[in-house]
Amino acid sequence: MAHTVNAARCNKCGQLSYPTHYYCSKCNATEFSPIPISGEGTLLTFTRAYALSLDYEQLYVTFGIVQMDQGVRATGQLDIQEPVLGMRVRATVGPVRDIGGRDVFGLRFVSVFPDAAAVESDQPALSASPSAS
Amino acid sequence: MMDHLEAMLRPPKLDMAPYPAKHILLANGETMVVRSASLDEVDVLLDAIDPLRTLDRDFYDVVGARLYAELLGWKRHRVRNEYCLVGVIDGELAGIVNGRMFDEKHGISYHTLTLKRGLRIGAHLFASKMEHHIEYLGQDEVWIVAESPIGHRRWMIEYPLQQKFSIQHELGGAPSWVLTRETYFKAKSRLVSGARPVPAHLLEKSYPIRKPDLRTMLIQIGETLEAKL
Amino acid sequence: MRDVVIVGAATTQFGRAQWSLLKLMAEAAHGAITDAGIERKKIDAVYVANMGSARNNRQAGIASALVDRMNLYPVAADTIENGPASGASAVKNGFLAVASGMYDCVLVVGGERMQEVNNFEATEFVSYLSHRFAEYIYGITLPALAGMFARLWMQKYGVTSEHLAMVAIKNHANALLNPASHLKMPIAMEGLLHSPDSAMNNPFVADPLRFFDCCPVSDGAAAVLLAPADLAKNFKKTPIVISGIGQATDTQAVHERPDPTVLTAVQTASRKAFAMAKLEPKDISLAELHDAFTILEIAQSEQVGFFPEGEGHLALERGVTQITGKLPINASGGLKAKGHPVGATGVSQIVELALQLRGEAGKRQVKNPRHGFALNFGGFGNNVVATILSKGA
Ligand SMILES: [Zn+2]
Repeated sequence: MAHTVNAARCNKCGQLSYPTHYYCSKCNATEFSPIPISGEGTLLTFTRAYALSLDYEQLYVTFGIVQMDQGVRATGQLDIQEPVLGMRVRATVGPVRDIGGRDVFGLRFVSVFPDAAAVESDQPALSASPSAS
Repeated sequence: MMDHLEAMLRPPKLDMAPYPAKHILLANGETMVVRSASLDEVDVLLDAIDPLRTLDRDFYDVVGARLYAELLGWKRHRVRNEYCLVGVIDGELAGIVNGRMFDEKHGISYHTLTLKRGLRIGAHLFASKMEHHIEYLGQDEVWIVAESPIGHRRWMIEYPLQQKFSIQHELGGAPSWVLTRETYFKAKSRLVSGARPVPAHLLEKSYPIRKPDLRTMLIQIGETLEAKL
Repeated sequence: MRDVVIVGAATTQFGRAQWSLLKLMAEAAHGAITDAGIERKKIDAVYVANMGSARNNRQAGIASALVDRMNLYPVAADTIENGPASGASAVKNGFLAVASGMYDCVLVVGGERMQEVNNFEATEFVSYLSHRFAEYIYGITLPALAGMFARLWMQKYGVTSEHLAMVAIKNHANALLNPASHLKMPIAMEGLLHSPDSAMNNPFVADPLRFFDCCPVSDGAAAVLLAPADLAKNFKKTPIVISGIGQATDTQAVHERPDPTVLTAVQTASRKAFAMAKLEPKDISLAELHDAFTILEIAQSEQVGFFPEGEGHLALERGVTQITGKLPINASGGLKAKGHPVGATGVSQIVELALQLRGEAGKRQVKNPRHGFALNFGGFGNNVVATILSKGA
């Protein structure tokens, strides 16, 4: 079974949100359809975190927030050696944590241009406008 | 004059390369000298460790009691090749690490005891101990065993150490972990600090070792004062 | 609404508790009761701020348990859990209870005993504040959220690691003047950042944040006693007026904020507190901000309204926020060095302001303060309470 991480699309007005809220932030409707988070986006910020919970055995995990071209933003792990603000990334889904002996799946972002980090560093770090689709 | 029986009890001495002293600038601006302790300094170390042997907090009791015994064994010539490194700040003892050579190529890490907390002194001293085994004693591996699981886990992940369940560490614990020469040099720039040589005036100030004030030390460690004073 | 005053205030030693959470809380409560000079049977209600007793100390219903420990029955008692902002939330609820006329004497106690579990568990427990499906499952921790925030902030405003260290150095120095503080250790720039030994002394926790940019895991408790202003003469100490309270919330997942560097709830809560107190940021004599991470002191000092956007670190550089400066920030040592027993923090900020306004802050006394401001920051800014205290007329 393929794992997905879903954003919610409002059945009435089409607004995308992630994570899901009870009411649509635009039109207050309460019915949504799941839309898998996929495709490419721009890395807004990241951190390499060394202080981790007990269930992690690696030295660090890299986290980032990504502005997806789909319109939503998402937090996830980065499989990127040297992340750079503003770089282009692609969403994949894979195991992100072992909770109670069970793999939990979530977003793992990879670089779109694995070898072009230096070039990408000139890109804008943070898009000024919010993520309304 | 050593009698015949005592001579039999004493293991033949093995020579060990000396650990060249170094100095580390700490986050609080103080300088810690890391150097080897000599046999005639053991008494003051024992004195400092003594009250910690019954301190049921963060494994201070286990580490304190065993380190006490190891140093006493060393002082009384019951171990062939033990060494002890101390961290000294302005003459005051801040931490102790010790270990020994199992054989020429394999080292055994015994204990790490921090008397002044919050400044990463334990981490600095543990790294110095690894430095001693690999770089100065010229060994291929250091065997390490967990007594305080949480602190040890941090080292396992930080270096990272490798599991080696095939060996039995002298302290009896299991499982055993090893630091290899290769892992050490990979981690060195990240984890091993300090500069050499130690300026003469700094080195001089590290003699004689003063034990920390008991009250200050116990507050530092975070123990119930009433129970100990 | 009736005017509400603080008539008693006390804190325990922060750091590693020598005894149980309940005894810690009782010690703080007893301190506040003694400070006010009243009999404890005068207390009508107790509000207890705590985040994790059920998980970390195997005690749920902590308010009822405290009442029992202190033989306060049959007082009304409620537990207030609002993450790291539990303390100021509890004071707010106590304020409302007195202001409404429902109760005359309310005891507010905040306490946490985190060191009953190890640091990995404490990190895990605090990370429950993040969004369970959009953040927590990734292993996101509060330091990680702060690290991502710091990276953006530093890039946007030219804040450096040295600026962050300056916050830590200042607050460690202040904590040396506070007998109750957890960390009593001066720190210095060279060992933190500029020596070859710095990488080991001050390693990254969540880059660009380092070890000394983060608050310690502390145990501790603090308490205040509240009463209506017209009954204040029945108490021993100079009453301190609660002149403004503001609270606001924001998205739980940090990534949903239009600009992740804008802490909307900080801005809104502060604005509301100033409006209620009929004061402006320039009227404030000293502030206790929620410096769980050094970057937060800088960011909050701007978003509360003390300094213009992008100038918090410049004010810090000029010494404005030192105890002797124009606007002392975290004279107590802050969460950074006084310590951060989660449920106690908001109450202890208010205790600090009350002591300062009474002129009882000892060696860290700010000169002639009139109005004090406290900011208690829950989650990563998704629930924020601002409180303003004023010296009576
Ligand atoms: Zn809609």
